[in-house]
Amino acid sequence: MISVRNLRKSFNGREVLKDVSFDVWPGEMLALIGPSGCGKSTTLKLITGLLEPDDGEIVLNSKEIGLVFQGSALLNSLTVRENLALALRERKLPKREQDRIIMEDLTLVGLADYVDSFPTQLSGGQQKRTSFARAIVNDPKIVLYDEPTTGLDPVMSTIIEDYMIELENQLHAAGIVVTHQFSTWTRTAHRAILMHDGVIVWEGKPDDAMRSSNPYIVQFAKATKDGPMLTGTI
Amino acid sequence: MDSTVRKLSNGLHPIDALDKWFSDGVQLIGQATLTAVKTVKYALAGQIDLPEVFRQANMIGVGSLYVVGVTGLFTGFAMSLQISRELAAFGADTSVGGVVAFALIREVGPITAGVMVAGRVGSAIAAEISTMMVSEQIDALEIMRVDPVQFLVVPRFLAALVMIPALSIYSMTLGLAGAIFVAQAKSNIPPDIFLDSVKQTIVGSDFVTHIVKSLINACIIIFFSCAIGLHTRGGAEEVGHATTRAVVWTMTLIFIFNYIVTALSNLHTS
Repeated sequence: MISVRNLRKSFNGREVLKDVSFDVWPGEMLALIGPSGCGKSTTLKLITGLLEPDDGEIVLNSKEIGLVFQGSALLNSLTVRENLALALRERKLPKREQDRIIMEDLTLVGLADYVDSFPTQLSGGQQKRTSFARAIVNDPKIVLYDEPTTGLDPVMSTIIEDYMIELENQLHAAGIVVTHQFSTWTRTAHRAILMHDGVIVWEGKPDDAMRSSNPYIVQFAKATKDGPMLTGTI
Repeated sequence: MDSTVRKLSNGLHPIDALDKWFSDGVQLIGQATLTAVKTVKYALAGQIDLPEVFRQANMIGVGSLYVVGVTGLFTGFAMSLQISRELAAFGADTSVGGVVAFALIREVGPITAGVMVAGRVGSAIAAEISTMMVSEQIDALEIMRVDPVQFLVVPRFLAALVMIPALSIYSMTLGLAGAIFVAQAKSNIPPDIFLDSVKQTIVGSDFVTHIVKSLINACIIIFFSCAIGLHTRGGAEEVGHATTRAVVWTMTLIFIFNYIVTALSNLHTS
């Protein structure tokens, strides 16, 4: 479970998060959606501990967190096997057991044949799938996805979304996906939170988004320029 | 004051630019010192990835052989040519070997190797680590509870600690060989006369100074390049900026510390 209470964070005097609170339950996938710069990725980094909040509280029911990075963030000097082994390092498993887990995970994402390839030898989609395998290699109880389908073609996006759904079913983890891809949050999330200017402006089920009268979610879901979120002119 | 004249190309007033440069420098020295303390702690605790140390030793040492060798050789050529001509004019050509060797061993050898390695290796390290920073690879390490200092800095430090003094000795040896060759070819000083002069001039403490300087160079190159890389934020432009900063700072510090060690060793001798 992830419990976020009254989170605040500023950078260089600019308040990026202003009193954000939400919970994510085991087996639930929450989508954090919103325009660029609204504080989604900052929230994710605060949950992982990569950033420290100025105020507020984050309670996690597990120290084991899997994070799928927007740009995959695989270590280019290591092979796919070594990238996954690094994530397993702390468990000090025998080599045979370590290899078994790695191959099992890579089979799940369809990359068993690429175990000894370097990340630079993989396509963008394959790198993203390797990043998935690395995120789940320790069977985390919390899985976070930072823009997992951004920059991918529609077919690969659908494949990635399918993996996310499959992982939710297998791991029964509490998940958060940060995205502004419509299909990603409507297909994979049970619940969505729309953020704007560091605050939550809408919360509900993805199916309710199109029917809502909230001007923020109407503008975001319909991708229209008319609404409270657009500032400035072209 | 004429503000258009008084402002630098980056738009800062010269005093503000100096202030910014100084505060950047203090911050960087602090970051490099903290990186050094953590690195030494890991190394002393034996938390070392040996295969990675060998990979880095190959990158730092073997990869720099050509560039350090050529610069060392030509430095020896130039010094011998200049010094032998000047000393021959005073009839002191039997001292050429000693003077050239003294300069090569105590000053020019460590500086030449240090500057070349700073340019080749320091820039590569800063570029690699800052790219890892901006592409979130360092964040990925932290999520996996792997300390970037242990993973990235310790192997580079240990490899540099062996390879940079080795490169320095190699550069000095080639420089001396080049000096002997030019002394013979251009000033008719036979190699045995040259080497006799070397033996009479050079003492054990000169080699100690050489090794101390090259060890300090290794520490400067690794800790400053890594600290710059690990504190890079932003995008591709910042990677370029980090690389330039690493080269400028490591080379500047190599010259400063070279002087400090020379001054201290002279103090000790006197």
